[in-house]
Amino acid sequence: MNRLYKGLARPYQVWLIVLVFIPLLSMLLISVSNYSVGMDLANLQITLSHWNLLYENVSSTPGTFSNPFITAFTNSLTGAFFTTIISFVLGYFVAYQIKRSRVKNKLIIMTIIILPMWTNLLLRVGGFANIMLENNIIESIFGINPLGGLFGTWPGIVFALVVTYMPFMILPVYTALEKIDISLEEASLDLGLTPFKTFWKVIFPLSMKGVVTGSIMVFLPTFAGFAIPKLLGGNIYFIGNMIENRFIYTRNYAEGSLLSMVVLIIILGSLLLITRFDKEGETLL
Amino acid sequence: MENKKALIELIDVTKTYDEENVVNNINLTIYENEFVTLLGPSGCGKTTTLRMIAGFVQPDKGSVIINGKLFNDLPPYARPIHTVFQRYALFPHLNVFDNVAFGLNNRSWEYLVNFFGKDSIAEEAANIAGGEPKKSTIKKVVKSRINKAVTDALALVKLKGFENRKVDQISGGQQQRVALARALVNKPQILLLDEPLAALDLKLRQNMQYELKEMQRKLGITFVFVTHDQEEAMTMSDRIVVMKEGVIQQLGTPKSIYNEPINRYVANFIGESNIIPGTYVKKDLVNFLGVDFACMGYKFADGEKVDVVIRPEDFDVVDVTKAKVTGKVIFSLFKGVHNELEVQIGETILLVHTYENYEIGQPIGLSIDPYEIHMMKVETNE
Repeated sequence: MNRLYKGLARPYQVWLIVLVFIPLLSMLLISVSNYSVGMDLANLQITLSHWNLLYENVSSTPGTFSNPFITAFTNSLTGAFFTTIISFVLGYFVAYQIKRSRVKNKLIIMTIIILPMWTNLLLRVGGFANIMLENNIIESIFGINPLGGLFGTWPGIVFALVVTYMPFMILPVYTALEKIDISLEEASLDLGLTPFKTFWKVIFPLSMKGVVTGSIMVFLPTFAGFAIPKLLGGNIYFIGNMIENRFIYTRNYAEGSLLSMVVLIIILGSLLLITRFDKEGETLL
Repeated sequence: MENKKALIELIDVTKTYDEENVVNNINLTIYENEFVTLLGPSGCGKTTTLRMIAGFVQPDKGSVIINGKLFNDLPPYARPIHTVFQRYALFPHLNVFDNVAFGLNNRSWEYLVNFFGKDSIAEEAANIAGGEPKKSTIKKVVKSRINKAVTDALALVKLKGFENRKVDQISGGQQQRVALARALVNKPQILLLDEPLAALDLKLRQNMQYELKEMQRKLGITFVFVTHDQEEAMTMSDRIVVMKEGVIQQLGTPKSIYNEPINRYVANFIGESNIIPGTYVKKDLVNFLGVDFACMGYKFADGEKVDVVIRPEDFDVVDVTKAKVTGKVIFSLFKGVHNELEVQIGETILLVHTYENYEIGQPIGLSIDPYEIHMMKVETNE
């Protein structure tokens, strides 16, 4: 039996090695290579020359010096931070209300929350980009323009990010809330705490696992993603856009790999954080 | 009982779920310092009754009066009542000490000052400060009082030294004690216990029964205990309330309920018993199993059909020649202290406990003392 199980794991092991470990190693290798445009195995040299991308200022417009990496990194961090905070406040509220509701089939509510995800992300964001412009279709049909002028602004980006990623906050928080035994709430009321105090002393601390998991699940794709800032960010670019730019347009694979590794380190750090809060990984599912 | 003060009064209390009366028109008075047990099978409304006293459930009809005040709509957190829950409901994010301190730590300042005594706190604070105490000194005194109360409560339930343990790192019995300490530290007037011993093993359960009874006597708190285990109820209670389908069947001391069950249901539920149809011939004479028996203390109409209740241990096993009735042993089981026999007399099969050894098939003689014969009215609806 044991040998059979080992055999069954083989295909996935091969998969992991070919599609995860080897690419990761090559990424590391390329980031310390001398490639500036394209790849050329014959003239491969190991050098750290591309790493100055991380700290060297360049002149983008005449007279001003800035580091595009620092800008992208700060933008990603800012966007991810605000998206996570807003998703947390709104998402927690939604999850809590679903938990409290007397609706028998809570699965339906959860499905409705996930429903927008069934539409392709690019389509959704493209739609947002459209109605965030002045003189868009909504304005010409209804004569109102609630989102107009948000294109290329921080509120516009964060709005799209929150709408896209909030379900990733709601689900784990709801799971964590649902796991809290109702008798704990009763015990707290019984010991003289008002419902408000009970929430802060019992419910909220016990749902922290879900909050941490949810925050990371919102933070990571927001931080590393590139579609939303690309489609409606205007001049604001995230680190994901920079990676995309290096790999697809300038073919500077060394810089692209280096930036990817920065993102990877952030992701690994976040996962470590999850495992510290939620050892069993119960809120991840 | 008469001179005791009524603490909890349930008057015509009814609770309906899905058009079914889970609790049906209950009247119950519980006095100060009493250990009252609500006894019945699951679904008999005992837990709902308890939850109405605790405030988690509002009665649909009737009134819940505590200390002479109407408590119907008072939320649980405003009642001087604490509950020990069936699954303990300890807070998993807090250690043992913080679990016990939870109630006091989250009380308002005014409540705590009154709880520990305004004067006593002021005095202690003045002693420390050596004059007019500052607010921070008073705070420190209250904090130390809470610590002391928690330490005392943990000592009371024999959990000294467990303060910093996590609640999932202690055994079920210890969790039970933490739950008890968490309620007792608040010095409630009434402690409600919802089958708190159900999850413990037999030995532990028996020990806890004695400890609970001891604690109740020592602290002078009214305990309202819910259980489906009649033995548990017998061991601990001052009075037992036997419930069935939301209605109180019988209310009385363990002794009276055991010896004088009011109907078949109570007789069957409280221990094993033989219920034999009989006829009340005349005063102090009852006929069953085809024989006239002397009895005492019951008043029925002459010739009225009655149900006779005899506990298995109340039979006297005697020599066949001296016996009132004789029968044949058809089943015998050694139970340690006694033998459990099934004795067939005509069509009737009786359960008899005796210290003597009998083989299956052996004849056996039985006689019954007049005071061991209990009689109930025949229930026509069953």
